[in-house]
Amino acid sequence: MIDVKDLNKYFGENHVLKNLNEHIEQGEKVVIVGPSGSGKSTFLRCLNLMEKPTSGHVIFEGHDITEAKSKEVNQIRQKMGMVFQHFNLFPHLTIKDNITLAPVKLGIMSKSDAEKKAMELLKRVGLEDKADSYPAQLSGGQKQRIAIVRSLAMNPEVMLFDEPTSALDPEMVGEVLDLMKQLAEDGMTMVVVTHEMGFAREVASRVMFMADGHILEQNTPEEFFANPQNDRLKDFLSKVL
Amino acid sequence: MGNWLMSIWESFDKAFLVNNRYIAYLEGFRTTLIISFFAVLLGVGVGLILAIIKYMANHLEKNIILTVLNWIANIYIAIIRGTPVYVQLLIIYFVIFAKSPLPPIVSAVICFGINSSAYVAEIIRAGIEAVDGGQMEAGRSLGLSWGQTMISIIMPQAIKNILPALGNEFIVLIKETAIVGTITVLDVTRAAQNVAVATFDYLPPLLITAAMYLVVVVILTKLLGTLERRLAQSDRR
Repeated sequence: MIDVKDLNKYFGENHVLKNLNEHIEQGEKVVIVGPSGSGKSTFLRCLNLMEKPTSGHVIFEGHDITEAKSKEVNQIRQKMGMVFQHFNLFPHLTIKDNITLAPVKLGIMSKSDAEKKAMELLKRVGLEDKADSYPAQLSGGQKQRIAIVRSLAMNPEVMLFDEPTSALDPEMVGEVLDLMKQLAEDGMTMVVVTHEMGFAREVASRVMFMADGHILEQNTPEEFFANPQNDRLKDFLSKVL
Repeated sequence: MGNWLMSIWESFDKAFLVNNRYIAYLEGFRTTLIISFFAVLLGVGVGLILAIIKYMANHLEKNIILTVLNWIANIYIAIIRGTPVYVQLLIIYFVIFAKSPLPPIVSAVICFGINSSAYVAEIIRAGIEAVDGGQMEAGRSLGLSWGQTMISIIMPQAIKNILPALGNEFIVLIKETAIVGTITVLDVTRAAQNVAVATFDYLPPLLITAAMYLVVVVILTKLLGTLERRLAQSDRR
């Protein structure tokens, strides 16, 4: 579904991603872990061109999006939902409008269809009573669940999560992870950058360890946690587990 | 005491009612409002364009057209903000429009519109910059174009940041138009001066004029306050 070829990213002199090659299959749940500054968020953000790679290719369903015109990139992004660390809900819009804005503006759904879909999704996450509230009235966990719902309203084929629970109070992490687990069970293709090792162990079909702009090791979660090979990974796991 | 009150009444009567002088004030007042209104429109229009050029030059990939436009915008803003509006008014009327058959009020509108646009540009740019960068990312990640994100997500939030400073700019502009008498426009200040000269009494007509400006500014402040409160609806917790 997603192919990454010879991906390099520089921020000025700083070489953040070093010649990465990767393949992500439909239905996979890839969890990327690693120390901060390892390039995992940048890697994720290159997948939907939030970050423009310095060189190399990202190929989504056969389309090289690094070569695509901005119009095509916009269309491809409709199929790649993204969830951010700081939620990035639109504070001036109600929850319902947050969810319906993109599908309606992009002409994918009529206003009434989009609203129906929004209410279905809100019901699914148990927040239908918040439809007319504003983001400022919600807790962090609720905001992140709405952010996920907002992406889902576009019917994406893959969901990218950039540290979705890192900005949450500890007691709210669970509700967001539960929703992500549900999504995984429904068969969504997911790429998740996170520090939640429990989530990685439980949900991932593959766990990837990044450090210094390289993917140093990847494996099934069982092997990854029980049998790490790379010294950097052993060191990392000894600190986080 | 009675005599004193009587003489005050007489001088205001002379300044306002005798010979239907109030008509001169009202006509002048209308001119002041017309100049202010069209200057604000021009100022916001040009200012918005300048602000968006500067914002794009700062946030999009470098390209030669944007760099040149940004350069022009910066020079324009530097010159307009760096020179007195009075001098600008004289230049526009006596030099640029010297041979033009257009009435002087056109010069006044253009002068104050251009002058205001430089300040408005910086107000709007700052208001857009103050919107969290994650908002643009969220919009783009959903597949919206840069322009769609700008219009539906960034600008509505930016307006909230912009409004207080913009209101201030409107207020300043309305009062600054008091110098248009210099280029023979009969605004409310010039009307008052004419009455003062005719009656040999400066205080009453100037007080009347001052009161007229004050009323407009107070009403405008109220309107802006209402608008701000309405826009703040989404901040309520």
